[in-house]
Amino acid sequence: MKLTNNDLIKLYGDMWYIRHFEQRLADLFAEGVLPGFIHLGIGQEACMAGTCFNLGDGDIIGATHREHGVLLCRGVSGDAIMAELYGKVTGTCKGKGGSMHACGLKQGALGNNAILGPAQTIVNGFAYAHKTRKNKKVAVSMFGDGAANRGEFHEGMNFASMWNLPSIYIINNNGYAISVPKSKQQKIDDLSARAAGYGIPGVSIDGNDLIAVIETTGEAIARAREGGGPSLIEFKTYRWRGHFEGDPTPYRTDEEVAEWKKKDPIKRFEKILLERSVATEKDMKGIHDQMLAKVDGHQKFAEDSPWPPMSEMYTDVYYYEEGSDQK
Amino acid sequence: MIGIIANPASGKDIRRLVAQGTVFDNMEKVNIIQRILVVLHYGGVKDIYMMPDSFHIMDKALCFLERNQKVQVDVKELDFDLNFDQSDSIKAATLLREMKASCIITLGGDGTNRAVAKGSGDVPLLPLSTGTNNVFPAMLEGSVAGLAAMVADKDMTRECLVLRQCKRINIYKNDELVDIALIDAVITDDMFVGSRALWETDSIKEIFVTAAKPDSIGISAIAGSFRPMSEAEPGGLYVKIGGGSFRTWAAIAPGLVRPVPIREFRETDYDTRVRVETPCGMIALDGEREVVFNKNDKVEIEFTDKGPRVIDVQATLNAAAKKGIFVDKEVATETANCPGV
Repeated sequence: MKLTNNDLIKLYGDMWYIRHFEQRLADLFAEGVLPGFIHLGIGQEACMAGTCFNLGDGDIIGATHREHGVLLCRGVSGDAIMAELYGKVTGTCKGKGGSMHACGLKQGALGNNAILGPAQTIVNGFAYAHKTRKNKKVAVSMFGDGAANRGEFHEGMNFASMWNLPSIYIINNNGYAISVPKSKQQKIDDLSARAAGYGIPGVSIDGNDLIAVIETTGEAIARAREGGGPSLIEFKTYRWRGHFEGDPTPYRTDEEVAEWKKKDPIKRFEKILLERSVATEKDMKGIHDQMLAKVDGHQKFAEDSPWPPMSEMYTDVYYYEEGSDQK
Repeated sequence: MIGIIANPASGKDIRRLVAQGTVFDNMEKVNIIQRILVVLHYGGVKDIYMMPDSFHIMDKALCFLERNQKVQVDVKELDFDLNFDQSDSIKAATLLREMKASCIITLGGDGTNRAVAKGSGDVPLLPLSTGTNNVFPAMLEGSVAGLAAMVADKDMTRECLVLRQCKRINIYKNDELVDIALIDAVITDDMFVGSRALWETDSIKEIFVTAAKPDSIGISAIAGSFRPMSEAEPGGLYVKIGGGSFRTWAAIAPGLVRPVPIREFRETDYDTRVRVETPCGMIALDGEREVVFNKNDKVEIEFTDKGPRVIDVQATLNAAAKKGIFVDKEVATETANCPGV
């Protein structure tokens, strides 16, 4: 896959955008500003930025509450996502969903489904629609290694396989299902091996290598667009933060976290940019700062936004047909 | 002492997606290790070391052997911290060489054996194919590999052990030896290592191969399709890709057939450095993108006959059988007909 220098710079910016955004959420949650639960994907930026790079208009991606970055990379307004997490009326769900349900349907981002598993069957509905419409669009489900043990995972892959749907299943294997290490969840090392049971291709790759993520998702998505059917991709990665903000992480050691921080996807990508003379240290610092300023702006927007009025309490509870009072 | 290096990551890369490569499940590697260990156990080999890995292949194999066959084999794990990448295979091979292993059994593809060869020195290798592109390792049943390894360990006088000296490709960047390959070094105009494997022929500019077989797959099969070269033939082949001479086609990955235009090809002697013509790009070694080079780098490739030594399983087992290594002489009643007695 040929990537232009502009592509590389954009991707670098996307990863910093995710990291700054997530770090800001961590800080705001610690200060007691953000309500509800927050689950962060710091360390998994390459999985999100690389996958979204290959998606286009009309493609669908359903992720989990750890993938705020997917929303950002799909072009959902950072202002609206931040406001949603603040619980403000300008949020993607008018402040009613928070981190667990932030979404951007117009951008094909089904949102951060807090129930880990159903997205793996829900995306098949979109994939089936794409197939029926012959529009060469795809539907992606992104979830964790723990969710890969749920029934919906197997159900979804079986259905997608039987109907040859343009569904791509992506496991962000960050080593832990909440607090349960991989070795106590599955007897296999590579979750991609499960693809064989459904007669579809399965690939395991280094999820902290942005280029590998782009190449692999690019091939799987191109295959699905051309009618080649579903694929399963396992990204081996790591979350730097706990399962949720405030998680004391007694189930892992500081040394383990430090080892994975050495495999920081952003630092690894910086090395490539320098090696190939795509950007200088100064350029990269500029992009870093630019993304930080963007997140500052999102925070200000959220802070300045109003709370939802009481009248919003009972709206959006039922679906109303347009122009009708039928619920 | 016998060493075993089983790569838990082989047989999993993007070629499952872009070609028809199958996932080589690690449980099958556990099965292969069991077959090897059973034979070593019955052959009386006591000193066995194995590389640790993320899947705990050794623990699983030992557990299944004890549970299902009531066989207890004493295998020790090499003591080092894993990085979970190819440096683990290099480290394990280096330790086994320092411990004077009589042979190293490897489970992996060309890439795994390349990593092992970086550390194994003169220790004979017994490569079993569990990878995707497998020119260097052979498809070999684990029990048979166990027999050959046992002979390597027991045949102190080296009467039976038949070894084949392999070639090696040295990669020089700005006059410094930066890496090696066993089968092929492929010059591409790719910019990145990424998912490592090669599957786009458009990016391939030059190929250096030690062995070119029409009956194999991978990039070396391109050369093998018009100028076969065996491992025994001295030197290597240089192939320049591009229009101008003729076009061939080959399976560059399992089930992935591509037409390839050839500009020129020539035999190259040992110990002669050939300057790479492509101005900048990436060098793929034994099927995996590894070495980055830029416009101002001087890149040279050299064939040598100083690669690893590999056990010729068939010749070794024939010689061992004739010498009576497998015969239980203590219960032989008719010594006249008993080989080796």
